[in-house]
Amino acid sequence: MKAVAITGATSGIGLETARLLAREGFCVLLAGRCAERLSRAKARILSESPSARVACFQADLMQQREVLRAAAEMNAYLDAHCGGRLHALINNAGCVRSWYMTTEEGYEQQFALNHLSGFLLTHKLLPALLKSNGRVIMTGSASHKGIKIRWDDVMLRRRYNPLTAYKQSKLCNILFARGLNDRFAPGLRAYVVDPGLVKTDIGNKETGALVHFIWSLRKRGGVPPEIPAETFAYLCLKEPPPDGLYYYRCREKKYSKEVTRENADRLFALSERLCGLDGGFAAQDERAGAV
Amino acid sequence: MNVFITGAAGGLGRALAGECASRGYNVFLTDINEEGLNRLKRGLERQFGAAVAAKYCDLTDPRSFDALLAHIDAHGLLFDMVLNVAGCDFEGAFTEREREKLVQIVLLNNAAALRVTHALLRRRRPGRRFAIVFVSSLASMFPMPLKATYAASKRFLLDLAMALRQELKAEGVSVLAVCPAGLATTDETLSSIRAQGFMGDVTTASLEDVARRTIDLALAGKNLYIPGLAGRLLSLLGKIAPRSLAAAVVYRRWRRAHLIRAEKIRS
Repeated sequence: MKAVAITGATSGIGLETARLLAREGFCVLLAGRCAERLSRAKARILSESPSARVACFQADLMQQREVLRAAAEMNAYLDAHCGGRLHALINNAGCVRSWYMTTEEGYEQQFALNHLSGFLLTHKLLPALLKSNGRVIMTGSASHKGIKIRWDDVMLRRRYNPLTAYKQSKLCNILFARGLNDRFAPGLRAYVVDPGLVKTDIGNKETGALVHFIWSLRKRGGVPPEIPAETFAYLCLKEPPPDGLYYYRCREKKYSKEVTRENADRLFALSERLCGLDGGFAAQDERAGAV
Repeated sequence: MNVFITGAAGGLGRALAGECASRGYNVFLTDINEEGLNRLKRGLERQFGAAVAAKYCDLTDPRSFDALLAHIDAHGLLFDMVLNVAGCDFEGAFTEREREKLVQIVLLNNAAALRVTHALLRRRRPGRRFAIVFVSSLASMFPMPLKATYAASKRFLLDLAMALRQELKAEGVSVLAVCPAGLATTDETLSSIRAQGFMGDVTTASLEDVARRTIDLALAGKNLYIPGLAGRLLSLLGKIAPRSLAAAVVYRRWRRAHLIRAEKIRS
């Protein structure tokens, strides 16, 4: 049974993608912050696909120690049940913030969750992904366009603008995917999905009244999360793996000109440093990222 | 520039530690949360290549603090700035709170701040200016029903800062009191801000701005920093209005937020 791991899997796009892939016969590894919401998601999937194999991993992926713990548990599960192979990792967990807030490491939260957590999790699951010629898929956003990475202040400590921080984190998703392809393709393929405007609660979680209000209005015009879930499923199922990088409704889409090899390398080096991967991304040093 | 920061592992302390590290200062961090402290130390080293020392201390315990001082003296460390950030509050009405938790507020917010400030003044670098920062609160401006002990403890810091400033002026020591309103630091404070609706948005200052301005103003030798226009207006009202009226208005405002929160916790 092919395995797929999905973060932010208890609601929205993550949950719909998990449901769809479970119906397609995948063993699904769900990661989420809340144990109760995880078991509800699992129950829902099993009620539709009784023969599906579903495993839950509770973790607050914004914190690096939680990423490391979840990754260790996932690797143990994959070794025990899936021959140590992971067909796809979907780095979907993401957040919106109204204010500059930091993780335990003092990293800005949108950057930490939307980009760094996926970077570190992919690093830890890399051997299982490479064994399976696997795929890594990030949940991106069309909002990544028209913006550059602020290399001199990547956490936007000076004049924090929550929307800019969000957009930049989504540009990081594509740069990371590009960096993965530059390093590992065809042994591994990385993609970013533009989900379009979707009716999810991302702007209603841990935000201030203003962002909450605006998002509540805005999401009314969105599509249900089942729609982008189809694109994730397409990128997981399609054989041979598609060649593109950025997809919207199962088709390639143009992305920002900022997505260059140079920028991707620069983000890779920065992210390695921020995650404490002193031996580089591919080296599985036991102490790497130790926190 | 050597900076000593208490309560560094979370909230404003963490933001100030990041601000100092980003300026290339050497920071000595202490907190009761040892794991958090070590993670922040690594994060600041990775992000800024900063020189960071971090050591656990329970500032409300004199013996724990003596051990911290012994460590500092063993390394011969001297400082240019001390940031008294460590503080606590336990939401709820006076009679609903646990007795010893109420006392804890004063032990940390006040007694520990005295302990730290006194000890650090004796460990300042000779011949250099020295800056003391007390993180007070907008709550220091009025008597605050439902946050009575907390607000009074912050008032203590505000008055202490004003008085010490005069005493120490001639020695080249400046004293700054910082009085922020809401700051989005933890999920808990966020839910408290949310409970106040748009009023919460308006009175919530941005953490990284407050951290940057605090250091700027401390270096400039200023004595009072109230972040945000809303904060300054409210503090002005606190000065004009009779204190009994201010208390009544605050009570009306906080009671609603308090009830919403209590309702949320129950459900």
